[in-house]
Amino acid sequence: MNRKRLEEEILHFGSGIFQQVQQERPSAFNTAFWSGKVMEWSMQFQSFKTDMFRLVDVLPALQSSRAIASHVSEYLAESAKEIHDLASWGVNIPPHSLRAKAASFAVKRGVSQMAKQFIAGETPKGALKELKRLRKAGLAFTVDLLGEYCLSEKEAIEYFERYREALEVFGREVPKWGCAEPLIPSHPGEKTPVCVSVKLSALYSQCSSLNFAKSVSVLSERLAELVRIAADNTIQIYCDAEDTEHNPIIYQVFREVFGSAEFRSYPYPGIVLQAYAKDSFQQTEQMINFAKERGAPIAVRLVKGAYWDAETVSASQKGWENPLFEEKYLSDASFERISELLLDNVEHCLPAFGSHNIRSLSHACMYAEQRGIGKDEFELQMLYGMAEPIAKAFERSDYLVRLYVPLGELIPGMGYLVRRLLENTSNESFLRHTFFDEREVNHLLQAPAPHSGK
Amino acid sequence: MSPSSFRNEPLLDFSLHQERERFQRALDEVRAQAAAQQLRAAPLLQGEKKGEGTAHQVRNPSLHSEILGTVQYATSEQADETITSLAAAQEEWRAVGFARRAEIIHQVAVLMRAKREELAALMVLEAGKPWGEADADVCEAIDFCEYYALLAKEMDAPKALMPFLNGEQNVLSYAPKGVAVVISPWNFPLAIACGMTVAALVCGNPTVLKPAEQTSLIAAAFGAILLEAGVLPNAFTLLPGVGEEIGAQLVANPATSLICFTGSRAVGLQILQQASSLTPEQRHFKRVILELGGKNAIIIDDDADFDDAVKGVLYSAFGFAGQKCSACSRVIVVKEAYDRFLDRLTKAAGDLIVGPAHEPATYVGPLIDEESQQRVLQAIEKAKGDLTITLSSPPPTGGSFVSPTIFRDVPDTHELWREELFAPVLCVAPADTFDDALRLANDSAYALTGGVFSRSPSHLAQAREQFAVGNLYLNRSITGAIVGRQPFGGFRLSGVGMKAGGPDYLLQFVEGRTVTENTMRKGFTPELA
Repeated sequence: MNRKRLEEEILHFGSGIFQQVQQERPSAFNTAFWSGKVMEWSMQFQSFKTDMFRLVDVLPALQSSRAIASHVSEYLAESAKEIHDLASWGVNIPPHSLRAKAASFAVKRGVSQMAKQFIAGETPKGALKELKRLRKAGLAFTVDLLGEYCLSEKEAIEYFERYREALEVFGREVPKWGCAEPLIPSHPGEKTPVCVSVKLSALYSQCSSLNFAKSVSVLSERLAELVRIAADNTIQIYCDAEDTEHNPIIYQVFREVFGSAEFRSYPYPGIVLQAYAKDSFQQTEQMINFAKERGAPIAVRLVKGAYWDAETVSASQKGWENPLFEEKYLSDASFERISELLLDNVEHCLPAFGSHNIRSLSHACMYAEQRGIGKDEFELQMLYGMAEPIAKAFERSDYLVRLYVPLGELIPGMGYLVRRLLENTSNESFLRHTFFDEREVNHLLQAPAPHSGK
Repeated sequence: MSPSSFRNEPLLDFSLHQERERFQRALDEVRAQAAAQQLRAAPLLQGEKKGEGTAHQVRNPSLHSEILGTVQYATSEQADETITSLAAAQEEWRAVGFARRAEIIHQVAVLMRAKREELAALMVLEAGKPWGEADADVCEAIDFCEYYALLAKEMDAPKALMPFLNGEQNVLSYAPKGVAVVISPWNFPLAIACGMTVAALVCGNPTVLKPAEQTSLIAAAFGAILLEAGVLPNAFTLLPGVGEEIGAQLVANPATSLICFTGSRAVGLQILQQASSLTPEQRHFKRVILELGGKNAIIIDDDADFDDAVKGVLYSAFGFAGQKCSACSRVIVVKEAYDRFLDRLTKAAGDLIVGPAHEPATYVGPLIDEESQQRVLQAIEKAKGDLTITLSSPPPTGGSFVSPTIFRDVPDTHELWREELFAPVLCVAPADTFDDALRLANDSAYALTGGVFSRSPSHLAQAREQFAVGNLYLNRSITGAIVGRQPFGGFRLSGVGMKAGGPDYLLQFVEGRTVTENTMRKGFTPELA
């Protein structure tokens, strides 16, 4: 591997992608819209960001316009001193008044619209139209079901039924579409147009590391049940990664189900690895070994990881060593190391590189090219609503781009929305640097190194 | 101020299979010792085990058929002898000094850390504590040692007061109080026994520990560690026995200076009364430190995050089967949220895993003994007559189990709403407004812990101001106070004294002495000379 040449190609290819994306801002950053303003203020005023995200978090739980109005005033009174536009949100207006009622309606509508940018629908049926639009635009999808914590077996069964419904609805409807034809005919990820991501901890209410054996057996049984439905409908399934407590259970369930005689030939079962975890390289090696033992390839989505704040806080409160890399560039570097490992083992796995970072993705694409690995041997994944211009730019370069599309109702959707907003507005956000701060392209395309993100 | 170098002992990380396996091995080892009849508690006087009385069997509350070991209770003569010998050791233990005693207590922590799985395993079996709870108990015990040792070091040097004044020298120093009697409960059989005992010892008070009879084995293990760490054998005595007998006798002894008790309100009151009577030969008032019960409430506001609130209530009410003084036994829900919250809570509570504490998956273990179980089952039966029960299921057999039980719409006049039951039994009631919810929560003889789940900044601010409890928790569970971070203790009928695990705690175990010297002689002062 010629590292110098690889870096040159990343710079060249990445610049091309940048050139395309800088024509348009993702809608989330468009300040002509309500949500774009929220994002802009969040990046300018740290205290507004905290208060606004807390308001977004509580909003769906509020039953009356009076409750909304009083929460708006409570959370945003301070910010309104600096951001005068907030007056139109009903800040400091008596919560019973007619004006407050109108303002609270507008706020709720604004937040709902913001949520809709990231959530494609409330139900599988309700999302069909949007999913069809994506496929027509040349983008594949995997569907994720948003929900509250699963606290009882009743809720676990409800989740299970929602997955069953999603598998059945998509399995029945999607193949009828004209755009269901493979986007890239030779691509293993396009053996089927339907892909569903399963959050395993939602399927068993007593899932915990102290209940390890039973968690694995109950979840294996329930996942197997879903995989049977998926197999009947030719649907690809990914098992999403979660936090450090749950991941060992999830990985074990994945091995038991897809290593079993029944599902050994099930095509490309997906697992997710998180590059921010210090042990992610070893985890990846173990997964590749599993694929070898299985005798049939698996799909591996590589992401940086979505639980950094929660896990870092929790580890420090417990006095544990942080299981995750503390610095962003270490996660970025880990992502690239694992990207190479996956591409080096492409006969055992279908790598799916999940990121919005043009550097990280360009690295994977150019490494593959240098190794002579075809564009039909791996895919790229991005979150729905986060970075359409980037997704489109890679798609135009003939890569398979799959969007991770959440479905669900507003209450559980809010937690997801807040995470997306945080991700977009964080000081370390690549999207923020790309679309808002408009940092130097050459700088953003540099190999991960200390302070490269600063 | 908490000592800045203090850090809490980290809990085990059970997401690592190695740590689960190590814990399981420790459990297997302790059970093997029990089967080989090697576990025995007996009075420990002058560094020697002196078992004279009959041996009582200790059973596993999760599995009554399993006998863990035997306890020999102290005799009445031993109780008197103890106080006499401790009084005789008072000067020797004082002379050791704060600094050296702090080192010894730090060494107690070192020894416990080395045996943490073994100690936790013993609590799993003897007290019916689920794995995570037992591990937390050991960590808290270690924390108490480290924290109090650091505090004691700071108390070592006499403090010069307002040294800028010339012609006068003012010095404040601390001296031990005298013989301390520590009476500890079975629910934190290591942490609380250890916290109270090392606080007394590190301050220079010769101490007798009378542990709850249900958890004598773990107390014996702790007693052995104290001596191994270097506590003078004549400065510490362990007297297993029945509280009403031995405990009362120790409290009444005129040579006792200090009584430190954690347990029920009834016994606490008796101690307070008994300690206040003065015998003719007695030249001191006894100081009494009490940590008693609670009837702790959590308020669920109508804008609460139910995911967090349900989880928080489950853990607060049913963790360790509700047998914590900090446990939640009342939930007050603002009416808009009442039915939805109650429904989610009830179903979630109904699915918690009830079973033997030695099974790692167990969330709700047994009650401490059959007597407790019968008392609670009777109280539930009685309450069923006048209350609506929304959750109740037959408990597993073989141990003293009670399944999570929830009553709804409980009126604030009902005894189940007002009296502490110490069980996995929860009362839920609606309130018209947040104000009403606070009023209901505060209408209690106790003031120990309380919680609020709300996302209204003004309601949270109101709770900070008005929720009358010693430990208030906002948007989290209300049990599991951590040494140094959440100094623990209540007021009203919940206790007397400073917060355990807090910066003021040790001041109750000493006498302050101020010495003032006029340094001016014939108009000459050293400072100006």
